[in-house]
Amino acid sequence: MQDVRAYVGPPGGRGVAEDARILSAFTISATIWLLIATGVGLLLSFKYSYPDLLTSPLLSFGRLRAIHTTGTFYGWASIALVGCAMYVAARSGGTAIRLPRLAWVSLWAYNLAAVIGIAALDLGLSNGSQEYREWIWPATLLFLFAVVTSGWVVVDTVAHRVGHDIYISNWYTVGGFVFTAILGVVAFLPWYQYGLGQVAVQAFYMHNAVGMWFTFLALGLTYYALPKLLNRPIYSYALGVLGFWTNLVFYPVIGAHHYLFSPLPWWFQTLAIVFSVGMLVPVWAGSGNFALTLRGRWSSVRRSYALPFLVVGIAYYFLGSTQGTVEAFRSLQAIWHLTNYTVGHSHATMYGFITFIAWGAVYALLPRATEKEPPQLWVGIHFWLALIGVTVYVGVLSIAGTEQGLTWANGDPFIASVEAAAPYWLARAVSGTMMFLAHLVFAYNVYVMTLAPRRAAATPAGVIA
Amino acid sequence: MTRRGMNDVRVLVISAALVYGALAIVMGVIPGRVLSMTPAGPGVVPLSAAAARGRDVYVGEGCSYCHTQQVRPLAQDRVWGRPSARGDYAYSTPQLLGSERTGPDLTSIGTRQPSAVWHLIHLYQPRAVVHASIMPAYPWLFATKDRAEPGDVTVAVPPEFAPAGKVVVAAPSAQDLVAYLQSLKQAPLPKATP
Repeated sequence: MQDVRAYVGPPGGRGVAEDARILSAFTISATIWLLIATGVGLLLSFKYSYPDLLTSPLLSFGRLRAIHTTGTFYGWASIALVGCAMYVAARSGGTAIRLPRLAWVSLWAYNLAAVIGIAALDLGLSNGSQEYREWIWPATLLFLFAVVTSGWVVVDTVAHRVGHDIYISNWYTVGGFVFTAILGVVAFLPWYQYGLGQVAVQAFYMHNAVGMWFTFLALGLTYYALPKLLNRPIYSYALGVLGFWTNLVFYPVIGAHHYLFSPLPWWFQTLAIVFSVGMLVPVWAGSGNFALTLRGRWSSVRRSYALPFLVVGIAYYFLGSTQGTVEAFRSLQAIWHLTNYTVGHSHATMYGFITFIAWGAVYALLPRATEKEPPQLWVGIHFWLALIGVTVYVGVLSIAGTEQGLTWANGDPFIASVEAAAPYWLARAVSGTMMFLAHLVFAYNVYVMTLAPRRAAATPAGVIA
Repeated sequence: MTRRGMNDVRVLVISAALVYGALAIVMGVIPGRVLSMTPAGPGVVPLSAAAARGRDVYVGEGCSYCHTQQVRPLAQDRVWGRPSARGDYAYSTPQLLGSERTGPDLTSIGTRQPSAVWHLIHLYQPRAVVHASIMPAYPWLFATKDRAEPGDVTVAVPPEFAPAGKVVVAAPSAQDLVAYLQSLKQAPLPKATP
């Protein structure tokens, strides 16, 4: 029963049109935030090379930096992945999305949270400029409300499935909602965290926001879309379950590796390093499981326009997360900590992994839901611009970070690290431009898949090859 | 049909919540609570009212995205001062340790650069004092006037960076921010007594 091919749409098409509307609306919202947040990111990248570009409070680096990160995290990636998770819960369960009204409420809450959080940041109002929890409390509260309501929709849809077993995708997505609701409460209650205590909570929060939310949602979508697109069952259900539990137990312990050499207790940092090595188990179990599912089916990848996105996402999941383990060692952190190397790593994972999986899921699910196919040429352009863009981005920032760390270790005057990184920052702005162009193309493709009138020659059945 | 164990979605939700909830308490809440009670180190004092307002400006403008406030026990960090100690952060909420050092560490900037004049010029236009700096300029923390009025804090911006025929005056927010930066000093650790 663990073969998603066994599940088809609900009998009689009840709710299918509404499911398509929900998936379309989540994807359109997410795409708008992608354009805003990465447009901001692009401006930021040019400010490294031209610091006096557009000097004004509303466009200043320090305010836009948090808008770029929270906008991509909580606007783009969250909304895109949640929309797909709802749709997957319905399709894998042979039913329609339950509580559709609540789904719409959650979408409004996600968007309103992002508007409030981002507008406040632009006015200089932040929850203490701590990474990924910068939104002021009304925005955060709304976001958590959205997580709980959309999670409720997914849980209720799973509860009303046709089959007996809960498909592994829904383990991951349901888990993501549960973990994030708990994480949000722990991280945002201010009354117990002061000074160094807040550093400990920040270490816990910042990595869990990534690893217990985006990772779980993205893996859940991959466990659905990959076998569906390949028309073969996932290689191993057991590896999927192993990945679920090991990710759940290891991930919450590793946050302090972001504060190596800080005044946090030394054993606490060491514990984080040990569990960072443990993270190889879920990462290799997951990416290996996907690779074995793909084995011998590369011709399908060439023929599909959604599969290449998933393949890149899986590859970056393996590479970026393994890099994260290696990076956690003290010997390497001594050079790379606090440099641009970390920024490269975060783009390898949040972009190479999470964003590519989100795109793969959208291209796999949306054309089938709306029966409108995107133009394959433009999907190809999107793919190559984004892939080359992010790969160059990660490459040049890894070099820039290494140079920064080496000038410090060499005892050079500080400004030497700025001068050493400067050429790579310009290259990053160029690769960032490619990534932003890819997003414009993606936005066009989303338009074709949703709002545009249906093309006469559309062949919806060909989407899931 | 009966659904048992992990195929009952309620069991899945509750077991996930219990495991993660326990880990969140052990790895997040308890370390957070315990370390929040770290007493102030010797010589670590609360900020003045002006410096506290300046710290809010520092937070709102996102200074901590490029400037750390943590000195690591590594040779390359000796230039920033002694390694940071737990008691150094007793009055630092929100915490501003930072994660990137695109600009210099500011743990002891008040010692390294005590001059308010330097800080004001640097905030108005960083490239007026450090040619290769890529720090943003913060002209909105200043006012430009035809002539200074009594009580104004004027800023001696070098002519090539100053608005022609005008004087640059530090707004209260700039003065507060400089008060904060000047307050950033490391209290010396007490010598071990024999």
